Amino acid sequence: MIIKDLVFSRWIYPLLKKDKVTGFFAFMLIGSCLFAQSGIPELTPVTQTYVLQNVQIVVRPGQIISGGTVIIQDGLILAAGKEVAIPAHARKIKADSMFVYAGFIEGLSQSGIPRPEAASGAAGPRTPGQGQQRPRVSDPWNPTYEEAGITPYVRVRDVFKADDKSIEEMRKLGFTAAQVFPIGRMLPGQASLISLGTGKNADELLLKENTGLIASFSPASGAFPSTLIGVMSRLRELYKNAARLQEYQKNYSANPLSVNRPVADKCLEAFFPVLDGKVPLIFQAPDMKSVYRVQALKNELKFGVHFADLKEGYYVGDLLKAEGKPIIISLDLPKAAEEKKPAADSSKSVVIKDVEMEALKARSAEEMKRLETQAAKLAALGLPFSFSTVGVKATDIKETIRRMIKAGLSEDQALAALTTTPAAQLGVSNRFGTVEKGRTANLVVSDKSYFDEKSSVRYVFIDGKMFEYEGKPAPKAGGNANAAGKGAEAPKIAGKWSYTIKAPGMNSEGLLTFKGSGSDLTGEWTSSQVPGTNPISNVSVDGNKLSFSSNISMGPRQVTLEFNLIVDGNSLSGTVGVGTFGTFDVSGAKIDGQ
Amino acid sequence: MFKILHILNLLFLVSFAHAQGTKGSLLIKNGTILTVTKGNMENTDLLVENGKITKMGKGLVAPSGAQTIDATGKFIMPGIIDAHSHIGIDVVNEGSRPSTADVWVGDALDPLDISVYRALAGGVTASHAMHGSANAIGGECETIKHRYGTLNPEEMRMEGAPRTIKFALGENPMRVHGEGNRIVPATRMGVEQVFRKGFEEAKAYLAAWETYEKEKVKNPAAVKPVYNRRHETMAEILKGNIIIHCHSYRSDEILMLLNVCKDYQIKRLVFQHTNEGFKVAPELAAYGAMASVFADWWAYKFEVYYSTAYNAAILTKNGVVTSINSDSEEYIRHLYHEAAKTQRYGSLSDDEALALITINPAKQLGIDQRVGSLEVGKDADIAIFEGHPLSVYAVPQYTIVDGVVRFNRSKDAADQRLQASATRAETGFFLHKEQHNHDRCLEGAFENTASFFGLERE
Repeated sequence: MIIKDLVFSRWIYPLLKKDKVTGFFAFMLIGSCLFAQSGIPELTPVTQTYVLQNVQIVVRPGQIISGGTVIIQDGLILAAGKEVAIPAHARKIKADSMFVYAGFIEGLSQSGIPRPEAASGAAGPRTPGQGQQRPRVSDPWNPTYEEAGITPYVRVRDVFKADDKSIEEMRKLGFTAAQVFPIGRMLPGQASLISLGTGKNADELLLKENTGLIASFSPASGAFPSTLIGVMSRLRELYKNAARLQEYQKNYSANPLSVNRPVADKCLEAFFPVLDGKVPLIFQAPDMKSVYRVQALKNELKFGVHFADLKEGYYVGDLLKAEGKPIIISLDLPKAAEEKKPAADSSKSVVIKDVEMEALKARSAEEMKRLETQAAKLAALGLPFSFSTVGVKATDIKETIRRMIKAGLSEDQALAALTTTPAAQLGVSNRFGTVEKGRTANLVVSDKSYFDEKSSVRYVFIDGKMFEYEGKPAPKAGGNANAAGKGAEAPKIAGKWSYTIKAPGMNSEGLLTFKGSGSDLTGEWTSSQVPGTNPISNVSVDGNKLSFSSNISMGPRQVTLEFNLIVDGNSLSGTVGVGTFGTFDVSGAKIDGQ
Repeated sequence: MFKILHILNLLFLVSFAHAQGTKGSLLIKNGTILTVTKGNMENTDLLVENGKITKMGKGLVAPSGAQTIDATGKFIMPGIIDAHSHIGIDVVNEGSRPSTADVWVGDALDPLDISVYRALAGGVTASHAMHGSANAIGGECETIKHRYGTLNPEEMRMEGAPRTIKFALGENPMRVHGEGNRIVPATRMGVEQVFRKGFEEAKAYLAAWETYEKEKVKNPAAVKPVYNRRHETMAEILKGNIIIHCHSYRSDEILMLLNVCKDYQIKRLVFQHTNEGFKVAPELAAYGAMASVFADWWAYKFEVYYSTAYNAAILTKNGVVTSINSDSEEYIRHLYHEAAKTQRYGSLSDDEALALITINPAKQLGIDQRVGSLEVGKDADIAIFEGHPLSVYAVPQYTIVDGVVRFNRSKDAADQRLQASATRAETGFFLHKEQHNHDRCLEGAFENTASFFGLERE
């Protein structure tokens, strides 16, 4: 059972909505449900003073006070240390000999940002043979900013959902704040530092607005810029025109009688703080080539930059060291390829050792080692970094950090990446990142060292508000899978689907057929553009995400199609990458009625 | 397993070491030097110092520490140059509008592309990494040196090479934009209009900036024109700072572009593919336009049916600076065979045939002062062959870029990738990139054939 947001009130416990409650609270259950449904507001707890006694206070990475006391009052840390007077009204929290850390901060995140709707609704699935349609870009010569993926004006507070379940998922891992940014393409919007506590809306959780403009090499779909080179070009153009507009506006305000009024432009104006050096471009550069490209662009345009979402920092440590810019590394570490078990009757056939395959596997393993070693390598170079959780499943995070530690990252370095470094990068070290008097009471309390495999987060404090968690994961009850909040029932993939790929001038339609389930899914597809039936490979299902690839021959060409789809009941939508020709939208629907 | 890992690690370190020293010194002893421009020299040494050819003669001594390669019985030729390829880049086509003069494939260089190593294995030291032909006006291209081993995209650029841009005639831009988006160009006439419109806009753009510059002197509050990269690039073509490389097949269209260029006084013009170039060779020669062709590759779509293997020879004999290109990461490995075909079809001399893959593509890329022949003072981009390179038995042994050995046949390992996938143990056989097989030059070939034979389901 999770007692979410344990609130003390003399009469009611309005938030106790869970199905099981400990004996002490049991008698209140029925009443509280009724109250909750009738919308009675949450009441202030009787005391906002808490004390944690005889705890291991990890003040900051490398500095531990054993047997210390932490007092939390009115959202702040009142005291953290050895000889501490305990106020009479403090509520004592059972935390004997537990570890107290500063609340973790996601260096870059999309927590609280709802995923876009699976189907845009504009074009539903169509049956094959309907012919080509006009593309949805209004004017290929001049796509709108939105069609081009250029939305730097979007603020987190405009798109954030305070009740998104991703927030609770991160909170129970110990994350208390996050640098969040909107979902988008080359310029998705402005990042903000957001509290991962509870609130009615983004404004209640907003800790710092516009901490940076997010940039990436993600192209638009079907409109310029539809490729990396388009993005690079467009970014240069926007940047220079933003500088022009800024100068123009200054001129105009100085000479309103002799200068024509400049036309406002919300995209270009969003660059002004970057031009003024007030906020950086937080550039997503997962692979090493992207890091080099960001560096080249930065040298050319002279913007302040944070290198974000790095996965291949192993290769570019020296570059990053020379640059000395803030670094946010990705926690999206791929899982090692699973060894296919030999068939049960393998004893019957002679096993031939595949020397080439052995060498390739060794090479792959070596590459995996480099990805795992990124954090340790950058730390060894003395480079501070925080962690990005973009595209990462919450449940994988702790294991990923442990893999990084296994690959040479020290626990102190890992903790710095979770606390002091993101606080410094975000310019909020005076409020967050350490367990010290006067800091915001954002704390993680873990029953063992957080990085211990068997540790559990028991309490999380955010702005002095307590969230309590069970020590061990609740045993899986068959009927409760959905109630757990995640791991919702996997969609049924097997069966026949019709689909449409929308590419300029080359809409392709056909059928997708899947057989089997789980990791044994196989499939094939047909297309109006390619005769015959094509096999599908690398099928992977992760929640409602379905991805697979297919190699097809088009005349002399071999083209690899990479599908990334979201399955929503009987409809699917997403994108397909067609080699370097671009990425196109896909939509489809199940047609065999299952 | 440990041993394999160890060997791979060593290889990896070697590659990094190469990347750091981009200019090398070495002595090549006692080979037959094919200078291409100044005849052959037998039993001759060639000295490279700091990436440049400093001496060619007999009895040369290697500077201390420099590597010596014994080329006895071998042929030393200038590194082969491919005037049309798409290797070493992550993006070929920004196909979203009929003109994308604002983009540049130099922004997407890919030092990890295994095709770069494979090209070296065919003696190719430099290539013209081109934008594709989806658009009438494609993006700017990049002349790259095959400095295999570096991880830094910037180190692949041939520093100082002139800017070039891809144009495209005919079916590709018509299909992608006309058929695809129902906009100009839907016809060959429309393609011409995309060029003319682009140049007219560039002239207006230049004029706007001139007006601004003049106005600024009198009025510090003068308003700058809006910066437009597409117009900027087109204006640079008008100023003669960018060489046009135009995807072309039919002679009528080739003449069309000649006329457009004449109207805008554009001199630097190279036709790519140019399958019907033989029909208009005198016109090309008179204009000073150049041609880059396949040896014997055609009929992959309708506009490429009228072709001849004598094309390169006819163009050459008419005085057109002609090269033979690959447009393929497979053909690029045996361009010396492609050049040799002109001796069967057209009886070109050895020097004429070798020029097709060395000094002539260098001229087309504006880099002939630096590479394309073996001369003292030029970059040490060199290929060493066992057997004469125009022989069908020729086998490249060493390929050297800036004096650094980037390919050594005796040290060729099973896995030469600079980076592997961490999650997939791919087999070497499939280590190619589909976009490098054929760019959009062949794009549509299949679809057109399919529709001709009634295979399309629509």
